[in-house]
Amino acid sequence: MSQTPENGATLDWPAKYNEVPKEVFEREDLWPLELEKIFYGDEWHPIVHQSEIPNIGDYKAAELGEMPIFAVRGQDNQIRIFQNACTHRGTTLVTKSSGNKTEFECPYHRWLFSPEGDLVGCPNSREFTPDFDKKNFSLPTFRTEEYNGLYFITMSDTVAPLREYLGEEFYEPLGRILGGDGRLKFVGYQKVHYDCNWKAYCDNDGYHAPLLHLAFKMLNWQGGKGVQNVSENGHLSFESELKIPDDITALKDASILDFKGTETSTGSIVQMQFPLTVYSKHMDMLNIRYAFPKGPKGIEVHYAYFTHEDDDDEMIQHRIRQSSNLLGPCGLISMEDASIFSRIDKGNKTPGNAIFQKGVKSEFQLDLQVGQNDESGNLPRWEHYRKLMGFKRAES
Amino acid sequence: MSEIEANVIFSIENLNRDYICALDKLDMNKWLACFNKQGTYTLISNENESNGLPIGFMLDDCYERLQDRVTQVVDIQEDSTEHYQTRHMTQLTNITDLGDNKYKADFNFTVFYTQDLIEQTSILGAGRYEDIILVENGKVSFIQRKAVLDTNVLPRYVPYPI
Repeated sequence: MSQTPENGATLDWPAKYNEVPKEVFEREDLWPLELEKIFYGDEWHPIVHQSEIPNIGDYKAAELGEMPIFAVRGQDNQIRIFQNACTHRGTTLVTKSSGNKTEFECPYHRWLFSPEGDLVGCPNSREFTPDFDKKNFSLPTFRTEEYNGLYFITMSDTVAPLREYLGEEFYEPLGRILGGDGRLKFVGYQKVHYDCNWKAYCDNDGYHAPLLHLAFKMLNWQGGKGVQNVSENGHLSFESELKIPDDITALKDASILDFKGTETSTGSIVQMQFPLTVYSKHMDMLNIRYAFPKGPKGIEVHYAYFTHEDDDDEMIQHRIRQSSNLLGPCGLISMEDASIFSRIDKGNKTPGNAIFQKGVKSEFQLDLQVGQNDESGNLPRWEHYRKLMGFKRAES
Repeated sequence: MSEIEANVIFSIENLNRDYICALDKLDMNKWLACFNKQGTYTLISNENESNGLPIGFMLDDCYERLQDRVTQVVDIQEDSTEHYQTRHMTQLTNITDLGDNKYKADFNFTVFYTQDLIEQTSILGAGRYEDIILVENGKVSFIQRKAVLDTNVLPRYVPYPI
């Protein structure tokens, strides 16, 4: 039975909870509704860590859905996130991905904004409308929360505060990825475009890791004990021990796999915040993956890497060489994920449903209790997506 | 560059040609042979490079890492990678004599790629090589090859050096 949401998009959703219609990855007409219900809806989105813009006037451009935004550190050392559009006629104010400015000038009519978002200058204003007041033309900002130096925004007035939204089982490990105290130092991005729908990018699961990643097998790298926590609103949090063998014969320089830190985890934390942000701490790599859908097809992922302010020079260098070689679009232990994003996107043009099996105890019931290596942890987020989009599930 | 002897320029051009031919044929052992035992290879975005941010896409900071890059390409990732054919186009833009038989050389590059199954050709990236090259006893080799990508956002995952 076809369902018709407000924008006219229709989609049949299977009765079984472990089935996802493949067309959900391919249907271009779903994108406007996803913008409205998800990206501009009741969700929080991380935009910037304070260490990415450490100096007064530093800014970083980003996007929320299709909306251009930018974060800037003001003269008062406060970080604010604004819509990237002049309040006059809408011209973008920031055209570089990052930089430093003491003021933000629109080139069109020279309206001038402070880093705090105030309109401080606009030529010929005596000829404006009689009740024109610069105070009414500050840059629009967002509801914002900060956690360990990471700034989140939402367009919702009603979504729960960040901590409640994420839940304790997500919030606490995220704090450890963020160094435990947020005193991180930003050391660079890896940016890449993946040729897939945004939902394919963030549908990675707990089942695949020891099977897809040949590096794990070659390096005799055994996963230890671990947990996968999932929430009804679609957040996943994995934490597992890493047991890296003492004698790695496959590599000439096994120091790349050293696990020097013991401060914030026993090895590996991977978290997926709905709708599409990934946080990870593998060994000594501290990573936030900001992701920006490019419409219904294509997604741009910005892997941001960090060291900790307390690191000595040896640890800084270790984190940098580990991050540069193991993760991201060229990384030894993660590049296979990227190949799957592309391949699953092509394969999803075939008819039918994607079917989850590992860890599914009942096809007709949603289960929040999942094992470390189950793929059933993805099903609550699909259910959350289905509900947000207003697609009714078929009768069983 | 006019002060550099012609045979040095010739040697440096030959080394670069060996390098890009090795990659276009995906002969990773010939790629490795372009480096000496002090050799390093870096693939980094211009955004990081110009902002003093050290994270690279690839950061092989010792010869053992170069050897492991060969292992990664040949033995580890081959199974899941969607292969593409590359064509490296390069242009020598500068050579500076550093003394002790070492030269700093700069090349511009553009890399075209044709991916299996898609079979249309696109640009993988454009940028510059910043090289430190040893020309000694009739042999020429990289002490450093740093590929700095103008293409800050890669168009796809990149399993092979550039």
